[in-house]
Amino acid sequence: MIEIGYGTVSPVRIGEKLPLAFIGGPCAIEGRDHAFRMAEQIGKICRQVGLSWIYKSCYDKDCRSSPDSFHGIGMHEGLRILADIRAEFGIPVTSDFSDPAWGAATGEVCDMVQVPAYLCRQTSMLRVAANTGRPVHLKKGQFMSPWNMKNSVRKLEANGCEQILLTDRGTFFGYNMLVNDMTSLPIMARTGYPVCFDATHSIQLPTSMGNISGGQREFIPCLVRAAAACGINALFMEVHDDPDNAKSDANTVLDIKYLENILIQAKIAHEMRLEILDKLGEDNVHPGK
Amino acid sequence: MSIRESEMLVGDVMLSPDRFPVVGQRTLLKEALEEMSRMRIGIACIVGQDQQLLGILTDGDLRRMLLKVQKPFSAFFADDALDHAVTSPLKVLPGDTLLQAVRLMDEKRVWDLPVVGEDGRLLGLLHLHPAVEALLSTDA
Repeated sequence: MIEIGYGTVSPVRIGEKLPLAFIGGPCAIEGRDHAFRMAEQIGKICRQVGLSWIYKSCYDKDCRSSPDSFHGIGMHEGLRILADIRAEFGIPVTSDFSDPAWGAATGEVCDMVQVPAYLCRQTSMLRVAANTGRPVHLKKGQFMSPWNMKNSVRKLEANGCEQILLTDRGTFFGYNMLVNDMTSLPIMARTGYPVCFDATHSIQLPTSMGNISGGQREFIPCLVRAAAACGINALFMEVHDDPDNAKSDANTVLDIKYLENILIQAKIAHEMRLEILDKLGEDNVHPGK
Repeated sequence: MSIRESEMLVGDVMLSPDRFPVVGQRTLLKEALEEMSRMRIGIACIVGQDQQLLGILTDGDLRRMLLKVQKPFSAFFADDALDHAVTSPLKVLPGDTLLQAVRLMDEKRVWDLPVVGEDGRLLGLLHLHPAVEALLSTDA
């Protein structure tokens, strides 16, 4: 079990047989007003559905395909906005950081620091993430096997971090294509840390549109149900109130009008899974037997 | 003195822990196999904190696993060695007689027996070759 939230915010506990937690928000912090508006709207939906949640939005998108794409609002301004959101709404916040030099400042504000999937095995990134003292959200690289994520986990542990959330966001299948291997969830869970499914990046078609990524967001609901049935502790989705004009990941972010429905489905699937395991016992089919 | 009258004890003959593979509970299977190859002994003892013996992994275990495990080698190698270990292995005490221990090895068809203290801590390894050699020297 990990606990996300310091100071005055309501901490979110993730793991074991706890209720499903939600991590979400617009991919990039586009501006103060938009960030606050999204926090208010998503928070309202999470309260209605009955899910605890963590606001996620990034101040610097260093992995854009094109030099002309929106890169972010910048670390200082972005972290100020996140700090104000956590103070205003009393919820934990998180952002990724793409440069080891940004880690300490990110950890000073954010309740959880996120290591981007592309950088998930970089020792300097993991050392800095661990040194923030905050829980670390570690995304499985699209190029990584789920079992090899143990090496990255060990790097975090070697630097004193034992509050880790492991997330699957799809796996490269040839060029410009991701597939979702749900077995990655129980495999990563064997590390002993909670696992999360990133439904909006999982449907991404990386850089499939020449200089930006595409996405098949019509598959988000079924993948959410599949992941929750398979076994997750948290669900991650990027959400926007105007996807067509989102400044980052416009082809994958979920329109907020669908959020409540999908969160309800996720919550029900999660609770049904726990009920099934409670009634029929834990999975007990062993390899080779 | 004949072999049957030998009063040698396991503790007299056992290998000390620096002479056979001893790995930690979070050692990867691949690392344990490397250690077994490096020390040229077909067993690794897996210990927790305070040197408590948690399990053993042998060449035979590995051979059986290779015929059974269906996952890719890369996943297999990344497992903890302990995942595939025998966690309730046969073991002997240093005060047991060597003759008893070798008879146990014969009966159970094993080449090695971990030697533990009363508190479960790993103290050494009884390896068949030096054990037989010691008994034969008794007979000389």
